[in-house]
Amino acid sequence: MRLQKDIIFDAGYLRVNPMPKTILEVIDLKKHFTHRKGIFSGLKEKHQSIPAVDGVSFYLKQNETVGLVGESGCGKTTIGRTILRLTPPTSGKIIFDNKDITHMSHNELLHLRGEMQMIFQDLDAALNPKMRVRDILKEAITVHHELSDTEVSARMQDLLDQVSLKKSKLANFPHELSGGEKRRVGIARVLSVGARLIIADEPTSALDVSIQAQVVNLLKDLQKHLGLSYLFISHDLRVVELISHKVAVMYLGKIVEIGLANRIATKARHPYTTILWSSLVEKQSRESDASRQVKTWGVFDYERPYSGCRFAPRCPVYAANGRPDVCTNPETEPVLRDTGDAHRVACHFPL
Amino acid sequence: MTAPLLHVDNLHTYFYSSGKQAFIRSVDGVAFDIAEGETLGLVGESGSGKSITALSIMGLISEGPGVIRGNIHFKTNGTIQNLLEHLDTYVTVSGQNNRIMQVNKDLVGWEKNVDKIMRDIRGKKIGMIFQNPKSSLNPFQPVGKQIMESILLHTSVTNPEEARERALTWLDRVKIDSPRLRFDNYPYGLSGGMCQRAMIAMALAGEPLLLIADEPTTGLDATIQSKIIDLLAELKSEFGITILLISHDISIISRLSERVAVMYGGTIVEYGPSRDVLARDRSAKHPYTQALLASIPNEENLTENGYLKAIEGDVLDTINIPEGCRFQNRCSRCTDAIREQCMHEEPPLHEIAKGHHIRCWLFES
Repeated sequence: MRLQKDIIFDAGYLRVNPMPKTILEVIDLKKHFTHRKGIFSGLKEKHQSIPAVDGVSFYLKQNETVGLVGESGCGKTTIGRTILRLTPPTSGKIIFDNKDITHMSHNELLHLRGEMQMIFQDLDAALNPKMRVRDILKEAITVHHELSDTEVSARMQDLLDQVSLKKSKLANFPHELSGGEKRRVGIARVLSVGARLIIADEPTSALDVSIQAQVVNLLKDLQKHLGLSYLFISHDLRVVELISHKVAVMYLGKIVEIGLANRIATKARHPYTTILWSSLVEKQSRESDASRQVKTWGVFDYERPYSGCRFAPRCPVYAANGRPDVCTNPETEPVLRDTGDAHRVACHFPL
Repeated sequence: MTAPLLHVDNLHTYFYSSGKQAFIRSVDGVAFDIAEGETLGLVGESGSGKSITALSIMGLISEGPGVIRGNIHFKTNGTIQNLLEHLDTYVTVSGQNNRIMQVNKDLVGWEKNVDKIMRDIRGKKIGMIFQNPKSSLNPFQPVGKQIMESILLHTSVTNPEEARERALTWLDRVKIDSPRLRFDNYPYGLSGGMCQRAMIAMALAGEPLLLIADEPTTGLDATIQSKIIDLLAELKSEFGITILLISHDISIISRLSERVAVMYGGTIVEYGPSRDVLARDRSAKHPYTQALLASIPNEENLTENGYLKAIEGDVLDTINIPEGCRFQNRCSRCTDAIREQCMHEEPPLHEIAKGHHIRCWLFES
């Protein structure tokens, strides 16, 4: 079993090795869901497909956090689930730790499952309501490794210490825990199998600010001590900005901008990213109401037809430039281009 | 001085946990008032009793024992009405040391009484935007119909055609694109933001004097959130509507409200003008408010090594309320001089500046 010792060694290795290896690489990943209208219309016409994820490429280095932001429905969660092969990808490649897992069989995947894990969004649904915390953790500890009872309890104690959860909570059922404690159990369960890559899907949404801060600190701590890599999916821009090294901004199934977190937050080049960040109510309350320009961008709609740039119908730059053809021509859909400093943006008229 | 539109006094709402054989003291002596045209923000962690306060005002608590003590004075047509009138005839309370230990309540009689009083208030005088618009709208009726119903029930309009026209103007006013098309949409066909707008339209269509907005933007995207807040701000300046705004997001509260009440464990711990309560640089502040402001994720609040300043410990469990100050086990500002008091005596709300009250022994000189 991959014990804590080994992982700590990894973290030490990172300190002496300035070039951490890539733990996850996603190349042109696509996931299309088919949308059937009804039994009979399904016979006549071709099924309409919804491109939830439509050609996404990025990589994640060891000990690094990549934040994935975007409005709900833009495909963030689908990316997370597809990377773990919880839903099969339509096309593209997923490379985990130099192994192509895109078409790996389930038996082979089983061995890798311990190393890549997901913290689910809705823990009320992800924790079995009829199992006590002790049994939930025990199941996770023993699922990949055969351990004796004393080893299990030692491991359990380790985990409780790592996520700072009281031992008395082991006897509780999930509904008896507070939101923050439930998160801690969720994180302990992920750590128990020895995960190195963690896909955290909205780990702090639905938590109060004070508890949210505790969970963010815990995740940071664990990364420092265990050398974990996170794909941090969230629509809370403030949290993403603080926890991530790099941030990828998604719009309608595509990454429109990716770069270092503070650059995305302050020197964004894509109009969508700037709109997203300027819509933070907190930022607005600091500006005076008069100086705040009224922003009238439309509504995010998955089924709206588009051609060329997906953001064009809502884009202020597109409107200001007199609706140029290059934005709506399907031949010239913008692709991610490097603009220096590890910053890439998909826009014809970057700011 | 004119009387406030709503004056809540000493409100207690309890529930009973049969598993633990104890009272859940959700709202434990809440008092505040809202003047006409004002927005009061109610902020606090989940479980602090914000929503239960709102539901108590609306008379929508159906589980026992529910509201057991207090007064809710509401001003309608120049007269002041107590929404909890005759409460004492249905409830007997006993206890010791200001702590309620036993409650006998005639629930059936009380419900009848509440319904009688609230029939002319709910929707008509006090409108409410509920927390989860998707589950609060009727899934079997088009949204337009639901707004029409509110108009027919609560305003002087009785003609369905006229009500339909009004519903359309309301849909337009809350900025729903192509209201005529959306009128016939069912809630599942609308996005979260649009459902929230429909919900706001429905609450406003009854032309209430007071609007209670319970977490109006929770669970919405940042872009939609800012639009809903803009909408509320606009309605406020346009119609001068009085709002009780409930949220756990301080940034939303600070954007809209003139005064703020901070709740913790069923009581108000700080209460005053927003600029005093929510200012970061003020030292006169309840330790809880201070910690809450410090835990907001932004650059200024980061510690040197990049961590957030979390409040240690968990939200207060309102079943086991400690003797003394409710925040004592998480408080970092308790000093030796006042520790005895913090542990054994609950601090009163103390006025430290005009209209600014703090419930903490630190400010009790």
